[in-house]
Amino acid sequence: MVARLVGLALVVLLVAGCGGGGAPPGVELVFRHSRMPGQDDPLPRLLRGFEREHPGVRVTHEPLPWTADVQHQFYVINLEGRAAGFDVLMVDVIWTAEFARAGWLLDLTDRWPAAERGEHFEATVATAMLDGRVWAVPWVMNVGLLYYRSDLLDASGFAPPRSYEELAHQARVVMERAADRRLGGFVWQGRQYEGLVVNVLEELWARGVELVATNGRVLVDLDGAAAALGFRRRLLTDGISPSLVTGADEEQTRREFGAGRAVFLRNWPYARRLFERPTSAVRGRVGVTALPGGGALGGAHLAINRATHHPELAWQLVRFLTSDRAQLAIAEAVGLHPTKPKLLEPALRSIFAAARPRPITPWYQTLSATMQPAFSAAITGVTPPRDALATARLQLEYFLADRWPQ
Amino acid sequence: MRAPAERRLAAVLLAPALAVLASVTLYPLAQALVLSLERRVPVFGIDEFVGLRHYAFLLRDPAFANALRVTAVFTVASVALEVVLGVAAALALATMRRWRAVGVGLLLLPWCVPGVVTARIFEWLYEPTGWLGIPGRALPALIVADVWRTTPFLALFAYARLISIPPAIGEAAAVDGAGRLATLRAITLPLLAPVLLTAALFRTLDALRAFDLMYVLTGGGPAATTETLTLYAYRHLFQTLQLGLGAAAAVLVLVIVALVAWAHVHALDATEART
Repeated sequence: MVARLVGLALVVLLVAGCGGGGAPPGVELVFRHSRMPGQDDPLPRLLRGFEREHPGVRVTHEPLPWTADVQHQFYVINLEGRAAGFDVLMVDVIWTAEFARAGWLLDLTDRWPAAERGEHFEATVATAMLDGRVWAVPWVMNVGLLYYRSDLLDASGFAPPRSYEELAHQARVVMERAADRRLGGFVWQGRQYEGLVVNVLEELWARGVELVATNGRVLVDLDGAAAALGFRRRLLTDGISPSLVTGADEEQTRREFGAGRAVFLRNWPYARRLFERPTSAVRGRVGVTALPGGGALGGAHLAINRATHHPELAWQLVRFLTSDRAQLAIAEAVGLHPTKPKLLEPALRSIFAAARPRPITPWYQTLSATMQPAFSAAITGVTPPRDALATARLQLEYFLADRWPQ
Repeated sequence: MRAPAERRLAAVLLAPALAVLASVTLYPLAQALVLSLERRVPVFGIDEFVGLRHYAFLLRDPAFANALRVTAVFTVASVALEVVLGVAAALALATMRRWRAVGVGLLLLPWCVPGVVTARIFEWLYEPTGWLGIPGRALPALIVADVWRTTPFLALFAYARLISIPPAIGEAAAVDGAGRLATLRAITLPLLAPVLLTAALFRTLDALRAFDLMYVLTGGGPAATTETLTLYAYRHLFQTLQLGLGAAAAVLVLVIVALVAWAHVHALDATEART
């Protein structure tokens, strides 16, 4: 902690020093990213490596605010001002289309050979593109997974479920057999936030329902979407999902499952490491499989600020940080997963390959912020699902006017 | 009446101060008003005049009506509870013979905690209950957090007034045969009223703009049951980046706050006229 503070102070001093003087002796690149989880941040090592390969270049890296919401705000304010305050930036997969349409990112189509794009999972490359152009390079990848208690499923003779109906059935049977009345069935993220949109999208996909149709229209299949939400509502009313779900985020559900109080959990891959820690109550009893219909794609890309003064050097840094070596180092140190199948542990490859991107549209933030209260109202039973969705559709029609997302 | 020359001089001398005030209050306000008449989404270069369409939309948007309702419930409930508990705490303090300074210090503690820290404390307290995810429980849970945080403010105001009431008044009442309750009703509370109204005005204006607790604890959920007007405006200004619509919502918040403040000031004048 003290070392970190001292480091931070040094960075501040360095930055302040650069601003004051005349022409700096070398070139400085600024890289903005969100803080790496865990204790062992691999970035300083990687960036020193880049500096050794590019004499005269110094890379300053500055962490973004903690929450995704505030990070997004930070980027909007700084990039809209067309400031060259940073050269390379980490963007969430759901922001890339928005930032590209806003004209904030450098077009990387001609720099990045098409052959190399094929090395990454297709779904993550899709979220780095808009209007047939490439705006970012995939850096780390996340996919929604289904965690299950292998000991409990084995005892009942169940194989991991292939559909949410099967999941609900298995959960009910296991709960009825369990000696512990407090054992919950299926925990997922039902709090009113982006995570709820992710969970509902996964339910929609399993039913073949799209939130945004290929022609850009939203909620064309209102009945299909209402049925999906009705199913999630019933999970709660039937007691298959405990009531904490409607207020829970990733961490709360992870702790619930990690304490042995649930049969199934929907979460990102980060939880695997935590479940296998020596002190974990569920160690050695957790299985992982693909979500029915595929898990949502998360993660981040690296992009270049269009206002940068050093586009070529910034591109070199992006290539360096997305190289096999760097992606492996990051996976090793903090457990964020690579975006290339060949670098990923074989057990996860098919699950990652089945990942699906959330709707790729510059309007994703508007779409999500409008759907969040509607989904929440539907799963908590405050509003019938169809009414909640119809209201959200009317609001979206007003927000987007005639400019439907393409 | 002062001489015209003197009045002219006063106007000249006041002009710079008025100009500064106008530039820091009226100018942004005028900007917000103009913005509220436009569909402006700077991210996508959208900027067009839409007249009063945003206001028309707000008046028929169920989410805005819901935000109005949530804000009203939150404000009335939290301010009422804070006044009652604040007066009770002040009375208790005023009757303490010893350790009074310690009592005041302890009372002030919650008031000194930054809003976001308060929110985190309550997040941790509420987690095992699951209340923040249950419609009908989440808003009361937030009201409790707000009452915990701001009762000291009311209590301090009331306490300061209480200790400035001359003991002779109470003694005279006792001589006249008034009991404790009668003294409280006929003497203490009327003397407290102007101070309480002022403090309650501050708190009401604060509560009408409530934001941090909801932002941290619930994000407006579940089912938007804790989405206040400011959170609604925030959602459009900073998340969907519909600056025009967000500005229109903010203007309506301002109108509501101004009306409430005006009503309060009138009530204050009335009580002062009575005493």
